[in-house]
Amino acid sequence: MIALDGIRKLHLDPVQPPVFDGISLRIAEGETCGLCGPGASGKSLLLKIICGLVRPEHGTVEVAGRDLGLASPDELRSIQSRIGYLFQNNALFDSMTVQENVAFPLRQRLRLGQEALDEQQILARVSESLRGVGLATHAAKMPSQLSGGQRKRVALARAVVARPPLLIYDEPTAGLDPVTTAKIYDLLGTEQKLTKSTTLIVSSDIDALRRFSDRMLMVYRGRLCYDGPSADMDESASPVVRQFVRGELEGPL
Amino acid sequence: MTRALLTLGMVVLSLCREVGGMALLGFYTFVNLLRGRFDAKELVRNLYKMGVVSVPIVSLTALFTGGTMVIQSGIFVQRFQAYGLLGWGTGYAVLREVGPILIGLMFSGRVGANNAADLGSMVVTEQVDGLRALAIEPIPYLIVPRVLAMMLAMFCLLVLGDAVAIGGGMLFGKLLLGVDYASFYASFVDAIKLWDVTVGLLKGTFFALMIALTSCHYGLSVKGGAVGVGQSVNDAVVAAALLIMVSDDIWTMVLR
Repeated sequence: MIALDGIRKLHLDPVQPPVFDGISLRIAEGETCGLCGPGASGKSLLLKIICGLVRPEHGTVEVAGRDLGLASPDELRSIQSRIGYLFQNNALFDSMTVQENVAFPLRQRLRLGQEALDEQQILARVSESLRGVGLATHAAKMPSQLSGGQRKRVALARAVVARPPLLIYDEPTAGLDPVTTAKIYDLLGTEQKLTKSTTLIVSSDIDALRRFSDRMLMVYRGRLCYDGPSADMDESASPVVRQFVRGELEGPL
Repeated sequence: MTRALLTLGMVVLSLCREVGGMALLGFYTFVNLLRGRFDAKELVRNLYKMGVVSVPIVSLTALFTGGTMVIQSGIFVQRFQAYGLLGWGTGYAVLREVGPILIGLMFSGRVGANNAADLGSMVVTEQVDGLRALAIEPIPYLIVPRVLAMMLAMFCLLVLGDAVAIGGGMLFGKLLLGVDYASFYASFVDAIKLWDVTVGLLKGTFFALMIALTSCHYGLSVKGGAVGVGQSVNDAVVAAALLIMVSDDIWTMVLR
């Protein structure tokens, strides 16, 4: 589903070392991967590279068998419309209601000829999606009228409403209380079971991330320093990974 | 010496980056506009937000601009008993110069600043990336409707503002100098040509293009969160004011 080969991305400040210096990985269809790493290690940037929002200076990115670097703008749009993306800041459109926000990917897919739903069916799907995240009664509200957790759930509903084969979640629980965090992970799990989508998730909540993901990836200093089963992370040969997972003060980090 | 050269080089590079960015944005906007690739719903929403909502403030500015013209010229009108020239003087100044410039600056402060802040907030809250991730190009969806809305809104506001300013001039002329409405109107209609109105409207619409491009460019290039948004608003307003004044000189020379 996703194949990265030798990704190199330079820092905006030329004095700084590259953000990524030769990252290669493969994520198979239906797999659930957690991506972690210390702050400012480029986790969100890697997600944006996979989605084709940022181009690396070197290396190739393949999504669903298409090299994003060689894709025409129309092909790129077609690939992007098959990705559900939950942004760290939710990225809800301020000028639209909750319902319009959630309906937006469906209407866009309709415009691109990838969705055969009519307006009634779109509204029904949006209602279903909002019911799924427990916000059916908030459809007419503006994003500014919602709490942080509610906004996150709307963003989640928008990411999954078109049932895309690839789901990318960037910090889906950042800044949320433990109960809301548990609810969000429960929703992510339900969605994954329902759609069998390939899922890539970035989170600083390492324990929750490991519980949710079959496979863990960790980036550190521009390289992938861990790529393996979630359960084996504690016993990694890398002292960086062990320290990060255990949250210890002493160590190379 | 080296430091001075380095600073000069950085200033020149930064200037080239900003001007180049705006030119490129203008080019892509124009190409998309020619192909009819823009979101009509966004255009209507922006026309309301930028045009309709600006009517009260523009009308008020225009009313007092007309009044100021009369107050300024009043002393000479009285000294030379040139009451018959009041309509021409007010009309000529308002239609060709003061109207487009003042309404342009007001428009930049209200609409341009708001637009830069709006786009800047969209950038820092990842809404622009969100659009791109949903396979929507930001230029046809966000920029073309805003540029078009600003130009159309400014044109309409200028027509309205010019009319209100002339009305204000008439009112203040009557109240302060005792010039009756008919005399003011006759002097205005006799001396003002359609070309004078056209020059003002052309200038104003061009100013709106400058305001639109600067505010969109600075809004989209925001970096660094809320502080960056504030800086982009500041840069957009300063750049627009500068471009209005410089382009006004050029237009005045070309369209004499």
